[in-house]
Amino acid sequence: MADFLLTQVINYGAPLFGLVLFLGAVGFPVGASVILIAAGAFSQQGILNWLPTAILGLAGAIIGDVLSFGIGFYAKDWVDKRFGNSKAWKSAEESFAARAGLAIYLTRFLITALAIPTNLIAGGSGIQFRRFLTYDSLGEFTWIILYGGLGYFFGSQWELVSAFLSNFGGLMVGVVILVSGIALAIRKLKSESNQTLMQKN
Amino acid sequence: MSPVKQRLLLVGMIVIGFAFVVFFGIRFFHAFRAFNGHRPPHFPPLGSQSVETDVSLIRDWMTIGYISNAYRLPHKLLYEALNIPPNGNERKSLKQLNDEYYPMEPGIVLAKVKATMLAIQPPVPTAMSPNTAMPPSTVMPPVTAIPPSTP
Repeated sequence: MADFLLTQVINYGAPLFGLVLFLGAVGFPVGASVILIAAGAFSQQGILNWLPTAILGLAGAIIGDVLSFGIGFYAKDWVDKRFGNSKAWKSAEESFAARAGLAIYLTRFLITALAIPTNLIAGGSGIQFRRFLTYDSLGEFTWIILYGGLGYFFGSQWELVSAFLSNFGGLMVGVVILVSGIALAIRKLKSESNQTLMQKN
Repeated sequence: MSPVKQRLLLVGMIVIGFAFVVFFGIRFFHAFRAFNGHRPPHFPPLGSQSVETDVSLIRDWMTIGYISNAYRLPHKLLYEALNIPPNGNERKSLKQLNDEYYPMEPGIVLAKVKATMLAIQPPVPTAMSPNTAMPPSTVMPPVTAIPPSTP
């Protein structure tokens, strides 16, 4: 898939690049980060013009994010019916709302695998659209500059950068799951020990 | 959710997280080692274009037009070497060309393109050995004294 899209980005340039980033933001497995790094390298080689490529890429990514935020927003009623009475869900919603800005910003470029779940949760948790759009635009801008810039500076060696960043992204997802699991386990153990102490007293 | 299910969920999260960290950690380490040895070739000014010379970087998703642009070679040469007409093939990747024109020889188009590029490129200059005699034409002329300047 990525190979096919790389050929098409060479052939059709910035508009197709914008479309690829849009599809990636909506959830299609197009390897958007790989294409972004390659687009940086193509700009250095004179195949793409970096400014329209960056603008169309940014627009595609933001529109895709807004769409998945919208899906989360309209699925809110169903989620409320299904989990609305759950204490854990309420607590998760509150805890997300407190750190939503940081979560939205970091999942755009650091933990990209969690970007779409974050969009859906943000849409469903009633976060203001303007707030989402601000952090989303900042995050996507960082992503384009960071990944595209690395592709630009490494030029034809962009594949090395891509392998490095994709494994780093996977490592970050693992760290997030592991740390969250440990933190929740500690919290659960503490609450259980408190309950047993109260029962003894 | 029952306490047993909660515990199972937490154990699952920790196990999956740990597996991710180990799997991607090893891959990240290997990628870092490969990446660390390859600094950017130079810091190109914005808008400038570099000329590629390393044929090992050619991939089968590339088009003839892209290769000729990146390596600054006329695309006609590559089409001639492949014995393929340029018309109608401008947007096709090397893999597509291979599948269409050489379906019985997988990878032949990529190999032919690399061989053509190597044959066309000028030879890389090698360092001169210290024992190599200087050719006569390079003998330095005797130093002539500079006449003192008149006040």
